[in-house]
Amino acid sequence: METRDDVLIRVRNLKKYYNRGTIKALDDVNIDIRKGDVMVVIGPSGSGKSTFLRSLNLLELPTAGSIEFDGEDITQKKVLNKDGKMVKMDLDAHRQKMGMVFQHFNLFPHLTILNNMTLAPIKVKHMDQKLAEEKALKLLDRVGLKDRANAYPIQLSGGQKQRVAIVRALAMEPEVMLFDEPTSALDPEMVGEVLEVMKELAREGMTMVCVTHEMGFAREVGNRLVFMAEGKILEQGEPKEMFANPQTERLKEFFSQVL
Amino acid sequence: MDSFIKISNFPIVFKYMSLFGQGIVVTVLLSLFTVLIGFVLALILALMRLSDIRPFAFLEKDENGYVRDSGFLYLISRFNPFAFLATAYVEIFRSTPVLVQVFIIYYGVFGVIKLPTFTVFGFIQFARFFPGVVALGLNSGAYLCEIIRSGIQSVDGGQTEAARSLGMSQAMNLRYIILPQALKNILPAIANEFVVIIKESSITYTIGVQDIMSAVNAVKGATFIIVEPLLVATAIYFCLCFPTSKLIAYVERRMSRGDKR
Repeated sequence: METRDDVLIRVRNLKKYYNRGTIKALDDVNIDIRKGDVMVVIGPSGSGKSTFLRSLNLLELPTAGSIEFDGEDITQKKVLNKDGKMVKMDLDAHRQKMGMVFQHFNLFPHLTILNNMTLAPIKVKHMDQKLAEEKALKLLDRVGLKDRANAYPIQLSGGQKQRVAIVRALAMEPEVMLFDEPTSALDPEMVGEVLEVMKELAREGMTMVCVTHEMGFAREVGNRLVFMAEGKILEQGEPKEMFANPQTERLKEFFSQVL
Repeated sequence: MDSFIKISNFPIVFKYMSLFGQGIVVTVLLSLFTVLIGFVLALILALMRLSDIRPFAFLEKDENGYVRDSGFLYLISRFNPFAFLATAYVEIFRSTPVLVQVFIIYYGVFGVIKLPTFTVFGFIQFARFFPGVVALGLNSGAYLCEIIRSGIQSVDGGQTEAARSLGMSQAMNLRYIILPQALKNILPAIANEFVVIIKESSITYTIGVQDIMSAVNAVKGATFIIVEPLLVATAIYFCLCFPTSKLIAYVERRMSRGDKR
């Protein structure tokens, strides 16, 4: 098998079937996500783009296919380690390196913003509490929410919650960030502040996979655009090129509806 | 017409106040230990019911590799022995009278297992108190199990997804994310169960536990006065239960302060 060092996530023949294969949420998806990619996934609702994204860290269990992350097939229960021994695949360890941001933020309502951010670093990575808090405050400062560190999620606006959710994932120092329609549940005036944070992340070279309906973001920020429909990747390429010259009828139709 | 309550009887009943005092201590201790045992048991039962341990899960895919959604093999692949046992336990304990359970535990189980006969504080007979606690604990465990299960299920699924996506294990997710939120949600129901146990513990006087009801019986036996000691017991039970539910309602309000501002 050829190994290209810069491929971070290699997806092969990914399938997700329901009802004995009569509903195909994912129908043979193949894609390589390379380090530094800002991949934007677009498509009509029900096209499987969220299922695809959620499969990448196995929040959704695929019916068939493989997802290689850091050289390990995370869909397997056991994998060969570097010494050539079969060991239990440590999904939790892989998930630490894949930050995820959800449509509905999913902040922990019973914890303060600061504790939302330090819980996983302290409990999972066994980071010193002081250090974790310092890091969290620095991250909060970056998104302009340092003064809300001791607030509870309910006290924040939607845009603020999503910014916290992003830095909560960043606190684990992930290798890739997965965004599942991060602005879809926001009031229109709050979309900008979240996209701004994502843009900055992209500028810093973070590997990102974003499912979104923000076409402006897809065109301006992404360096790869993927168009999905009916569980398949119908078209992919350089975003500006794809916006200018959509190849398939399906994409032309989609653009005509959303642009 | 004579009233069925004779005021003149109360001074006679009050002579036995120390019996009632001991009864209060017994009832309160009985209820506390019951809730403790019941809660731990219920937590284990609830986790068993919600677990996904399926020894025949390898049967869940058919010859084409698709997940089955019906048929005999589907049912077998879904079978979870832990959930089955927990469900059976809950249904059996909820569908039989607590009095029968108390008798079976006291005369049956602890008829075979001999307990040491000593007394605590000079009036709590361990050999009667302990079976009472066990029986009530087993019973309330069944009810609390359903409360805890619904509490866990009431927490939004996105919470688990967020926790797992941060690399937390299932156990960490349960401990730091799900249970704190679930317990907060079910606090009123648990408080209600605690009040129910205070009242239900009166049934243990039938196996000789010297609680408040047994004080009533003692007074009745000594003086042939029936109604007035019962009224005293009524007042005591009310004074135990009403403040308890008020107290927990207060704690609940304080705890929810964080998410309502």
